[in-house]
Amino acid sequence: MTTNLQTGPVPGGRTAPPALEVRGLVKHYPGVKALDGVDLVVHQNEVLGLAGENGAGKSTLLKALVGLVRPDAGEIWVRGERVRLRSVVDAANHGLGMVFQEQSLVPNLTAAENIVLGSEGPGVRRGIYHWRTMRRLAQEQLDKIGSHIDPLARTDSLSFADRQMVEIAKVLRIEERTSHPPVIILDEPTSVLESKEIETLFTQVRRLREFASVVFVSHRLDEVLDVCDRVAVLRGGRSVGEVPAAGAAPAELHRMMIGSTGSDDHYHDGLAERSEEPGRPRLVVRGLSGRTFRDVDLEVRAGEIVGIVGVHGSGREDLCRALFGAEATTAGEVQLDGERLDLSGTRAACAAGIGYVPAERKTEGMVGPMSVADNMTLTKQQARCSGPLVRPRKQATLVDTWIERLSIRTPHRGTAIQRLSGGNQQKVVLARWLVSGDVRLLLLDHPTRGLDIGARSEVYRLMRELAGSGVATVLLADSLEEAIGMSDRIVVMSDGRATTEIAAPSGGKPTPLDLVKEMV
Amino acid sequence: MSTPVLAQPASDAPVVARPTVGQRLTSFMPVIALVVLLAALTVVDPGFFTLSSLTAAVRTAAPLVVLAAGATVVVLCGGIDLSIAALCSLATVFFALWLPDLGGLTTLAIVAVAGAIGALQGVAHVLLRIPSFIVTLGGMSIFSAIALVISDAGPIPVSDRGTTHWLTLYVAGVLPMAFVVALVVVAVVSLVLRLTPVGSWVRAIGYSESAARLAGSPVDLVKVGAFTLSGACAGLAAVMLVSRNFSGSPTMADNLLLPAVAAIVVGGTAITGGHGSLWRSLAGALVVTLLRVGLPIVGVPSAYEQILYGAIIVAAVALTLDRSKVLIIK
Repeated sequence: MTTNLQTGPVPGGRTAPPALEVRGLVKHYPGVKALDGVDLVVHQNEVLGLAGENGAGKSTLLKALVGLVRPDAGEIWVRGERVRLRSVVDAANHGLGMVFQEQSLVPNLTAAENIVLGSEGPGVRRGIYHWRTMRRLAQEQLDKIGSHIDPLARTDSLSFADRQMVEIAKVLRIEERTSHPPVIILDEPTSVLESKEIETLFTQVRRLREFASVVFVSHRLDEVLDVCDRVAVLRGGRSVGEVPAAGAAPAELHRMMIGSTGSDDHYHDGLAERSEEPGRPRLVVRGLSGRTFRDVDLEVRAGEIVGIVGVHGSGREDLCRALFGAEATTAGEVQLDGERLDLSGTRAACAAGIGYVPAERKTEGMVGPMSVADNMTLTKQQARCSGPLVRPRKQATLVDTWIERLSIRTPHRGTAIQRLSGGNQQKVVLARWLVSGDVRLLLLDHPTRGLDIGARSEVYRLMRELAGSGVATVLLADSLEEAIGMSDRIVVMSDGRATTEIAAPSGGKPTPLDLVKEMV
Repeated sequence: MSTPVLAQPASDAPVVARPTVGQRLTSFMPVIALVVLLAALTVVDPGFFTLSSLTAAVRTAAPLVVLAAGATVVVLCGGIDLSIAALCSLATVFFALWLPDLGGLTTLAIVAVAGAIGALQGVAHVLLRIPSFIVTLGGMSIFSAIALVISDAGPIPVSDRGTTHWLTLYVAGVLPMAFVVALVVVAVVSLVLRLTPVGSWVRAIGYSESAARLAGSPVDLVKVGAFTLSGACAGLAAVMLVSRNFSGSPTMADNLLLPAVAAIVVGGTAITGGHGSLWRSLAGALVVTLLRVGLPIVGVPSAYEQILYGAIIVAAVALTLDRSKVLIIK
C-alpha cells in the first residue's frame, strides 16, 4: 500500500497536522551558530523547496531531521507528535528518510542488495541471504517509483541517474516501518545529473508527492521553483521567509537568500582606484620559466589588481607559487620595485614584502590547531617580539587591533583557528601579511574558495582597500566573474604561457565570453 | 502555523568551546600515571616510598630524561630520532677515548660533537628529503657499528673520575646533580620554546609543514636545530652514563631507545607532531623509570621489561592519537 488518502491534504482549512514541523531548532558548533531558531512546516503530499546560501544551515537542518545531528534546542514534530531523533533508524521509524548528496550506495553490490541493505527483513533467513526474496523486495521498491532498473545489476555499472533511483527506492523502504506516508528529503539531487535526467527526476518527485511529502534542496533556484509547491529560505541559520513557488521569480528568492541589502556592488567597484596616473611598476617578471610555465612576462603596478585566468593546466598556480619562492624556476628574472627578487625560498619572499594566500586554506593557509593570534603573527614574528623574546602583551594588542579592523568573528584571539568559519579563517590568513605593514605584493590563489557570499564580499572589500593603499595584487580568481569583477587588468595563461592581456577597468569590463575565447 | 517573515540579523556571539572533562583528564595523564604508580608501588612495598629509594630512582632517570627531552623537540616537529641511543653509546666510547687527551674539556667536546652528528642527520633529512625515520634508523646502525669498531667491541674503563665527579654530587644532600642538570635542560629548552618564536615555528611545522613553509617560517633551520639538540642531548646523557659506570661501552645506552620513545608518548606528546611539551616527556620518563624499578618489586623478572616498553608505546600512542583526532581533526 503506497497511498493513504485519509491523511492527504484537507481542502479548505488545514485540520490535519503537518507531516513534519520544526520549531525553533538551534544547533551550535564551536564558534558558529549553524541553526539559530529555524521554523519549518512540511504539509502532507507537498513538495517543499529549501533554499539558502552555503552556510545558511541547510545541511545541518537536514541532518537534524534524519537523526545525524542532535539539536541543542527546539522541537521536531511528526504528524502532530513530538519526536526525538537519535539516529537514522530513529528517523526512519518516524517516516523520515534522506537521499544523500554524496551517494551512499555500496558500489560493488547489486541494486537489490543496496536497496535492502540495513533492513533485510525477510531477505535474510537464518543469517543467510535469501536471494529470491531479496530480489522480490527490491523489485517491489523499484516498482513503486516505476523504475525499470535491473535489480541484479551491479551498482557501479549504473548511471548516476539510475543510482539515484536506487537511492530513492532504498529510502522508500522506510514505509515498511511506519503506517503513515513518509517524508523524503532530497539533498542537492540534481547536482550530478544532466538536464534530461533532471526531467526524469522531477517526474519522480511529482510521483512521490502522490504518497509522500518531499523536502527538495537545490542550489539551482529555477529548479526549486519548477518542482516545488512552496519554497522556504534559510539565511544565517534562521528561517527568513517562504514563498509559494507558483509565480515567484528566482531573483526574488535570491534576494531573500543573500539578504535585502543590495549586492549591486558585489565587487566593491566603487572602492577601486580611480587615480589618473597609474602607479609605478611594482612587480616586473621577465621571461620566467618553470616546470609548468614558460617565458612569462608580467607587470603589476602598485595599487593594481591583476587577474590571471586560465584553464586547468595553464600553469598559473605554479607561476604564483614560483613568485613566492615555493616552486623552482629555471630561467628568467623577477624584480620588485626595481630590485632583483630572490626566488630561492619562501622566507626570502616574505622578507621582500610578498604575501601569499594559498588555495588550500585548511592544509596550507593556516595551522588549524594553533590560535588565531599565533596564526596571525606566524610570518612577521618581529611584530610581536622585542629582541628575541615574544611579548605576549604586544602580540595581544596587535592581534586585537586586526581582529577589530577586519571584523574577524572569533570568541577570543586564543581560539584555535580551525574553530572559526571559513571566511573568518581567511581574514586571519590575510591579516598575517598585513600586521607588519610592509607588504608590497599580494599573491592570492583562490582567496574566496569555499566562502559564502557575505564572506566573499568582505574579502573583496579588503582587497580593494589594500589596493587603495598601494599594494599590488595578483589574483587567481575562483570564477571568471570574480576575475572580471575584481581585476583592473586580466592576463590569460594558456599552456604555461601568458598569451593575452585584457584591460578590465571599471566601466569597461570584458565579458566572460571574451576571456573564454582566449583561454582555449 | 508559523510563517516567519524577515528575521532579525543573527547576533554574532560565537560560543566558546571549553575542553571536556575527558580532554582535561588526558592532558594530566602522565602526572596522574606517576602518582598512581607511586601509590601502587608504595602499597606493594611500603619500604619503597623513602627518600633514599626516590633519590635513587631520579638518579637513574636522569640520562633517560635528557635523551627524551632532546628527541621530544624532533617529535614536536613531526619527525622522530631513532639514533639517540646508538649516538649516546658512541659518545660514551668517545668520552673514554678522549678523556686522557682533553681532560676537563671532554664533556663539552662530547656534547658538541654529538650535536654536530645530530645536525648532520638533520641536514641529510632536510636537504636530501629523506624521512627522518629512515635517516636516523640508518644513523643508529652506523653509530653502533662505529662504536663497536673504535672500542674493539668492549668497554673502555675511565680511570680519571674527577672530570665527571660533579655529576655524582647531590644538591642539598638529596637531589642528584645529574637529575638537576636534566631538569635544567628541560627548563631551558621549554623556556626557549615558550618565550621565542621558535615555539610557534616548531608547532606550526609539526601540525602542518607546508602551511609553516608558506608562512615563511624557517622550516629547514628549525628542523636541523631540533636534530642538533637531540644529538647534543644524547652526548650529555652519555656523560651522565659514564659518570655512573666509570667506563665507555659501545652498547651502554642501546637499551634506552625504547624507554625514551615510551617516555615521549606516555607524556602525551603526539607522535604526529605539533602537540606536546618537554615537561610531559619529563613526567613520561619518570613513569617509565618507576615501571622499570617497580617490576622487580612486584616480582616480575626484568627480562620482561622490553615487553612492557613495547606495550606501553603502543597503548600510549593509541591514547594520544585518539586525543588528537578529537582536537585536530574536526
